[in-house]
Amino acid sequence: MSDASSSQIDQSARVRDLLPSGEARAKLRRWRGIKDQFARYMIAVFGVSVVVCLGLIFVYLFSEVMPMFQPAAMETRTTYAAPGGNPAQSVTVASDRHRETAVRFTDDRRAVFFDPRTGTVTNEERLPLPEDAEVTARAQAEPRTRLSAYGLDNGQALVVRHVFSERFVDGQRQTSGGIEFPLGDEDTALLDVVEDGTPITALTIQAGSSGISLVAALADGRLRMVQYEQTTSFMTGESTVERKVYDLEPPPGAATITSLLMDITMRNLLVGDSDGKLHYYDVARPARAALRDSREVLPDPNASITAMEYLLGTVSIIVGGSDGSVRQWFLVRDRDNINRITQVREFERHGAPVNLIAPEYARKGFATADENGVVKVHYSTSERTILSRPISDGPLRVLTFAPRANSLYAVDASEQLHLVDVRNPHPEISFSALWQRVWYEGRSGGEFVWQSSSATDEFEPKFSLMPLTLGTLKAAFYAMLFATPLAIMGAIYSAYFMSPRMRGVVKPTIEIMEALPTVILGFLAGLWLAPFVEANLPSVFSILLLMPLAFVLFAFFWSRVLAENIRVRVGPGWEAALLIPVVLFIGWLCVTISPQIEVLFFGGDMRQWLTDNGITYDQRNALVVGAAMGFAVIPTIYSISEDAVFNVPKHLTQGSLALGATPWQTVTKVVLLTASPGIFSAVMIGFGRAVGETMIVLMATGNSPVMNFNIFEGMRTLSANIAVEMPEAAVGGTHFRILFLAALVLFILTFIMNTAAEVVRQRLRRKYSSL
Amino acid sequence: MEVRDLKLYYGNDQALKGINMMIPKGRITAFIGPSGCGKSTLLRCMNRMNDLIDTARIEGEILLDGGNIYDPKVDVAELRRRVGMVFQKPNPFPKSIYENVAYGLRLQGVKNRRILDEVVEKSLKRAALWDEVKDRLHENAFGLSGGQQQRLVIARAVAIEPEVLLLDEPASALDPLATLKIEELMFELKEEYTIVIVTHNMQQAARVSDYTAFMYLGELVEYADTDTLFTTPAKKQTEDYITGRYG
Repeated sequence: MSDASSSQIDQSARVRDLLPSGEARAKLRRWRGIKDQFARYMIAVFGVSVVVCLGLIFVYLFSEVMPMFQPAAMETRTTYAAPGGNPAQSVTVASDRHRETAVRFTDDRRAVFFDPRTGTVTNEERLPLPEDAEVTARAQAEPRTRLSAYGLDNGQALVVRHVFSERFVDGQRQTSGGIEFPLGDEDTALLDVVEDGTPITALTIQAGSSGISLVAALADGRLRMVQYEQTTSFMTGESTVERKVYDLEPPPGAATITSLLMDITMRNLLVGDSDGKLHYYDVARPARAALRDSREVLPDPNASITAMEYLLGTVSIIVGGSDGSVRQWFLVRDRDNINRITQVREFERHGAPVNLIAPEYARKGFATADENGVVKVHYSTSERTILSRPISDGPLRVLTFAPRANSLYAVDASEQLHLVDVRNPHPEISFSALWQRVWYEGRSGGEFVWQSSSATDEFEPKFSLMPLTLGTLKAAFYAMLFATPLAIMGAIYSAYFMSPRMRGVVKPTIEIMEALPTVILGFLAGLWLAPFVEANLPSVFSILLLMPLAFVLFAFFWSRVLAENIRVRVGPGWEAALLIPVVLFIGWLCVTISPQIEVLFFGGDMRQWLTDNGITYDQRNALVVGAAMGFAVIPTIYSISEDAVFNVPKHLTQGSLALGATPWQTVTKVVLLTASPGIFSAVMIGFGRAVGETMIVLMATGNSPVMNFNIFEGMRTLSANIAVEMPEAAVGGTHFRILFLAALVLFILTFIMNTAAEVVRQRLRRKYSSL
Repeated sequence: MEVRDLKLYYGNDQALKGINMMIPKGRITAFIGPSGCGKSTLLRCMNRMNDLIDTARIEGEILLDGGNIYDPKVDVAELRRRVGMVFQKPNPFPKSIYENVAYGLRLQGVKNRRILDEVVEKSLKRAALWDEVKDRLHENAFGLSGGQQQRLVIARAVAIEPEVLLLDEPASALDPLATLKIEELMFELKEEYTIVIVTHNMQQAARVSDYTAFMYLGELVEYADTDTLFTTPAKKQTEDYITGRYG
């Protein structure tokens, strides 16, 4: 006994000799301390940087989105006496897009060109109107055309266009203005509307692709349309003008025509009369022009129309009334396929009769002025009245926009020209324009539409985020519908039932799937799976039906029918491998019998059958996306939930089994419960991935922003929309910023989702955690 | 319960080398022996928990009421209902106290609330836990202390009326006071159940058991009634072990 203890002491003494000396250990302690401190600070620095980076992304998105929500501003820059001498009255004012040259038309038949910044006159032109005739009507085509027409009391009319030209001298831009006559030259510019000298009382002009059309109301009640079609001979280069005259049936009733408006397609003519009625003529074929609709456009019978103007694109009319109301109307096709004049929306009222309406050149915005000199700026699509401000004390005579809508030219009754700066870069945005039904031009009711651009300039951009948000959720929903059951069931099987060796092969294989670039998945889904599904539609459904059935049948056969000695050759947990040939066979069988099923049940073509039954079928649809994106999220869900199931403590499963539970009872009652926080977060992470996924939805959805949950139709998601449109959006424009807003919505969507998921997960974990 | 020539292999290693023993009904039998001697393995053979280990292979028979539990026709789940087991570490499920006790009954398809209530109350009373938990039956079982958890697990095991109760070192993770309670509990339970207990603690074996088996290196060295084994062991190995020579 004592021998043993003394040898033990010897041994410990020897071990102590082997340890480093006290000095060395103190040095090591210092060094370890330094490493410890270093690690602690580095981890803190990196951790904080991650949070900061995320915050910066948020800040950046916000910084791009915020300008959209900043208030607009309107401010008078200068006021000066209208250039070109008074007491002549201004008729209209227009400027070039740089606001360097402007023109003022006066009622003494002059066009005065001046610099709008200072009011300095540069040149002056005289309109070639006969001295002995009175100007009795004036009309202006869409502002972009810079065309206007003068109607005279001798039945003649003058069509004139003002032009602004730019030259660069020594790299400096110089602009100048002048007038020209599109239908002839200075001597032949005067046109006969009627030969018998009846005075013109109202006039409208519009220029289209085929030429210029005038419609004039005459003093004797006639309504006459004159078309000038310009053709250029390609042999001689000489241009000839062909004149066609049509007499239209005047509107019913004794009222006199006060205003005329014709759209740029020259199909629709609107006639306003002194009774406050608006009449719509279809003049697509002027020889058979007909009155289609008449309507009171003001609800108050005592009110009268005091101003009426087309918006850009000449689809919507803004009607201003003596009651101060500002309303938007356009033609809507009714059930009988007849266009009716329909009120679409109403804007903020004026306190006095509206006397001027100024449309913008490039957007669906406009300004209105009342007799108290108050100017309001509105935007039609977003249904907003953005600005409201008195410009002068009395009524204005002229109110027009500069081409870029960054200035308003207002001339008051004392011929003072107010140059008003307008800063209104994003009028298209409002809560209703983004998230609610909007009645767009040419549609028959409120709709959710995303259509940001088109081939024409007069197009109304449609920025509803609803179809995109819904599309995102739709894609994610179908992907989850496909992925969640497969991934979770697979996870339970491989974590709980599969033999460890097989699990060692299966789990890494599925996890490797995650590394598959989604662009390849999207490519396969769009170019192979989508046409394949379209061609073999019945097989998709027969697989859905037959595959589980075949599994159950095979399991029954294997466990109940087959002899024991064959069964024992397959080790426990290897049964899944036996299913591989079953899966392959059923897959092959379903594809092979697909045509027969189609012939038997669907009249030979299931796609046609669906269409006949009122179900739209797109080749790239939610079914394909669900499968492809499901494939992409399966590894995520599988891997996390497999770990969760596998990490359920053995003593719990054994405890359950020891109480006489079957393995299946143990799984459903104990394992799933304990693993539920992990499985839940796996599903939520998968969902987050499906919501943010871009390449697959970009390539396999068809990118049509539809508003439904039909599995056979495509969708456009927020992420794909950003990817598609960002390259073509003008930097800093409304479209550009809305794409950032879409990104922010996506970010917030996933943020809310993840936060909710984390809260639920924590609750589950508190409830079901096992130590 | 009778064990006949039981051999168990983990792969190529033989863990049990032909055990033969008779476990009397309505008594407490204790297995003692140094770590790795196979006493837990033998216990786990009695409700076929070793089936869960892929590499384990078993020869021989264990008879329960005359029927071999290793007969291929035996339903393992039913066997485990008849032969309940309590583990070393308390393992309540992440459910309420009530649901933990009702778990075994629910597995058997009992849905009637009244029956469940009654059995839960009875079982908790039998496990001497009722007074401590009757006001918080629906709180999470993890709120209980280690000793309470272990008694809960015993209540859970007795709720399904097993014939045999296997206890695998049930008190080794508990403090002395909780251990005492468990021991008192065993004393009361032996009226109704055949109890087999594996323990490291020889005092415990001496205190609670009627019969004691000493195992060493996979063999049953000595098996006798507890008084005989601890006072006049027949084998030198047994004497060495109980006097603390090795272990």
